[in-house]
Amino acid sequence: MTRRQIDIIYRTCWTLALLIVAIPFVFPFLWMVSAGFKSTTEIFGTPSLLPRVWRYENFIEVFTYQPFARQYFNSLYIAIAVTVLTLIISSLAGYALARMRFAGAGLLMLFLVSALMVPEEVTIIPNFFLIRSLGLIDTHWPLILLPTFGPHGVMATFLMRQYFLALPRELEDAGRMDGLSRIGIWWRIALPMSRPALAAVAIITFLFSWNLFLEPLIFLSSLEMFTLPLALSNFNDSYGLPLWNLQLAATTLAVLPILIVYLIAQRQITESFALSGVKG
Amino acid sequence: MDLSRPETTARNDRAPWLTLKTREMLEAWLFVSPTVIGFLIFFLGPLVAVVYFSMTEWNLLSQKATFVGLDNFNDTLFKNPDFWHVVRNSVVFAIGLVPLNMALALTLALALSRPFFGVVFFRTVFFAPVITSAIAWAIVWKFLLQGEGGVINQMLALVGITGPNWLREPNWAMAAVIVTRVIKMVGLNMILYIAALQAVPRDYEEAARLEGASRWQVFTMVIWPLLAPTTLVILVITTIGSFKVFDHIYQMTGGGPENGTLVLAFYIYQQGFKFFNVGYAAALAMIMFVIVMALTLIQVWIRRRGTQ
Amino acid sequence: MADVVLKDIRKQFGATEIIRGVDLTVDEGEFAVFVGPSGCGKSTLLRMISGLEDVSSGELHIGGRRMNDVQAAKRGVGMVFQSYALYPHLNVRDNMGFGLKVRKVPVDERDRRVREAAATLKLDALLDRYPRQLSGGQRQRVAIGRAIVGSPDVFLFDEPLSNLDAELRVHMRSEIAALHNRLKTTMIYVTHDQIEAMTLADKIVVLRDGLVEQIGSPRDLYEKPNNVFVAQFIGSPRMNLLPAAEAKLISPTHALPASAVSVGVRPEHLRVVEPTTDSLSATVTLNEYTGAVTLMHVELPGGQTCLVVDDKRDMPPIGTRIGLTADKDNLHFFDADGRAVS
Repeated sequence: MTRRQIDIIYRTCWTLALLIVAIPFVFPFLWMVSAGFKSTTEIFGTPSLLPRVWRYENFIEVFTYQPFARQYFNSLYIAIAVTVLTLIISSLAGYALARMRFAGAGLLMLFLVSALMVPEEVTIIPNFFLIRSLGLIDTHWPLILLPTFGPHGVMATFLMRQYFLALPRELEDAGRMDGLSRIGIWWRIALPMSRPALAAVAIITFLFSWNLFLEPLIFLSSLEMFTLPLALSNFNDSYGLPLWNLQLAATTLAVLPILIVYLIAQRQITESFALSGVKG
Repeated sequence: MDLSRPETTARNDRAPWLTLKTREMLEAWLFVSPTVIGFLIFFLGPLVAVVYFSMTEWNLLSQKATFVGLDNFNDTLFKNPDFWHVVRNSVVFAIGLVPLNMALALTLALALSRPFFGVVFFRTVFFAPVITSAIAWAIVWKFLLQGEGGVINQMLALVGITGPNWLREPNWAMAAVIVTRVIKMVGLNMILYIAALQAVPRDYEEAARLEGASRWQVFTMVIWPLLAPTTLVILVITTIGSFKVFDHIYQMTGGGPENGTLVLAFYIYQQGFKFFNVGYAAALAMIMFVIVMALTLIQVWIRRRGTQ
Repeated sequence: MADVVLKDIRKQFGATEIIRGVDLTVDEGEFAVFVGPSGCGKSTLLRMISGLEDVSSGELHIGGRRMNDVQAAKRGVGMVFQSYALYPHLNVRDNMGFGLKVRKVPVDERDRRVREAAATLKLDALLDRYPRQLSGGQRQRVAIGRAIVGSPDVFLFDEPLSNLDAELRVHMRSEIAALHNRLKTTMIYVTHDQIEAMTLADKIVVLRDGLVEQIGSPRDLYEKPNNVFVAQFIGSPRMNLLPAAEAKLISPTHALPASAVSVGVRPEHLRVVEPTTDSLSATVTLNEYTGAVTLMHVELPGGQTCLVVDDKRDMPPIGTRIGLTADKDNLHFFDADGRAVS
């Protein structure tokens, strides 16, 4: 056999192996969509990837069983609010930590680094009492405030700081000579040059909020206030057993738009996670 | 051109009321103030509080916190078989998940770090579960893993295997939770490894190959040592992540069956928010804090020793 | 137009002192050059004058006004940066007009002044281009133009030519000199290149380790260096430094100052002669022919090496024993601390 033939066989084997490994990654998504279209009886019958009868009614019932449209909107606007707030706050602090000299900067860095080490689960109990004493139980405030100021926000701050450190400093100096204030330099010079970092923070923050579960579970009690993950886990009958076809139809509705955006911007999204992972 | 126009550069002859240094400091603190205020209210305050809570007896019966010192740790925690059961579960979960996750992540990264036909497809597929909500992922797998009529078992039946009632038997449930969690999260470690592999200069590998090293030798003697820092980071964040797993367990097994998948994060939630044992839950949170802190400090220590 | 006066200026970063007490006056309309090896603090000093760095202690006056705590944009100074620092998202016109826009100068006034500056610098045709579409020399001119439109009292240049290739550097150097002739504005220019310093400056400030080594005209520094450091830093190739005893051999008529321990003589001042008892004998080790001149490396009996620059085409071949002499006016004597003595 020639070198070239060996190479082809080698590659084919790898590709086949990868295809087999890929099955449990793809299969659940396919089954989720298909089962969302099935009737209750068909779901427990002989499995087949395609439904014998396509029951579109499932997707309508999802909205009547729970205020699903409202819940969908809740998730969307909370995720947008968390993203915008995190972008502003983390880029402000990240800029100061990267570029400005001030007493206490070292201590602040140390505190923030230590915040990275402490998971939300550790502080969730006192935070519950804090939110309760503020009268914000069953509102969306804790779902906006806690992620923004929690370890995730700190991680975003470090990510922004790292990026600002690598920007050419003389451009900002030129801005100062031209009479820009600090906030002007941040807004008109530093931020426009940091689009890749801002995009990365926006992507991971949006997904972080969109998929958040523990906080909604603890702080929310009325159906109209629920976010998507909480709503999804709530498609049960009166015995607490899952209404599979409705639950899977709702899950499809929740997951598919994110998945489609991901397929379009796959490269950008994975790179954002790589960036945050390296820093974290 | 005429350059003698005094109005052209904005000048005012008032003496500045702040020194440049003070001005910069005030501006900087203004920039970091949202972060600092949020940090104090939602992080440092609660952290101090949880330390205090962990030393109180505070539950539905007592209605208010009574200071009991380290009793929560001594009596209720360390002498409580439930606690040790949870610790055991968490350790089993971590020991099952971390090596599996890392080995798979590295293998996939090695296969996907160089361009070939289909590489984007595979990367996309393996990373897709990472961006998916854990609840959604757990819902689908719970559906697939049902005992009777579950898709997985029906498929196993086709090849003559009678599958167990996955989520109703403690050991199988633990295995199922671990494996589905690995499938969900492995993509993240995979891209971290891919990034690290792509940063390894091609020259090293080519030099080793010229010296007659086989592919396997190149990996063990050149690539693997160069990946060590990445491996350390991945090892620590994956282990920490495994101790924090909550939503996945909540949706798939609810900690059952027979508390077979009752892990630390879920136990904190259960004690704190279902049974309202605030003091006890806070003591559990402290245990988690210590575990995560210890893992992080070990990482820092190893890294520091490595650079010396 | 304004003068710049520094009184005991110091700068600390944490515990380290970067600038360790600088006293200096740059007169109105003067072209001053800060020169020194990297890390000597010349850029920090310039940034302190610009207001980009605060002054740790000492007094800074521009045009008679204390500027220590005045913000950069309000000092009436314009700065040209090493990397040009043009805003990538703005075209040439907007880059040059940006400072005026921030200061809320009316649009028509702004436009007029950008056009004037562009005409001065022959940038008219480039006003609608973006920085990425410009060559290095053009970017450099835009950076100067940006400083000009603000009509500053003092121009500051931070190694403005170091990113250009050699040919363009010589060209831009002459343009900057011409600009100074035309505007007659005070200019302070930082460089590590002593040729730039010599060609541009009215006054050179040689810095080392945060201290001024010598201030003077290019001729002063070349002919009467205060110390070994300045003597060897100014002039290329650098001055030869030999034990003082050799001075008698180089220039027999010269009386040796009592405290002198070493003697300096520039390569271009050494003459090759037949080896005699009253010349410094040496052996040729290498000839480097460059066209206009030849660099001849020689070894002295004591083992030191010494460089001779000569415009003769035919130098003695390697291994030849030769004699070296020089005029007594071209000898520089230094004491044990490296200070010049006469």
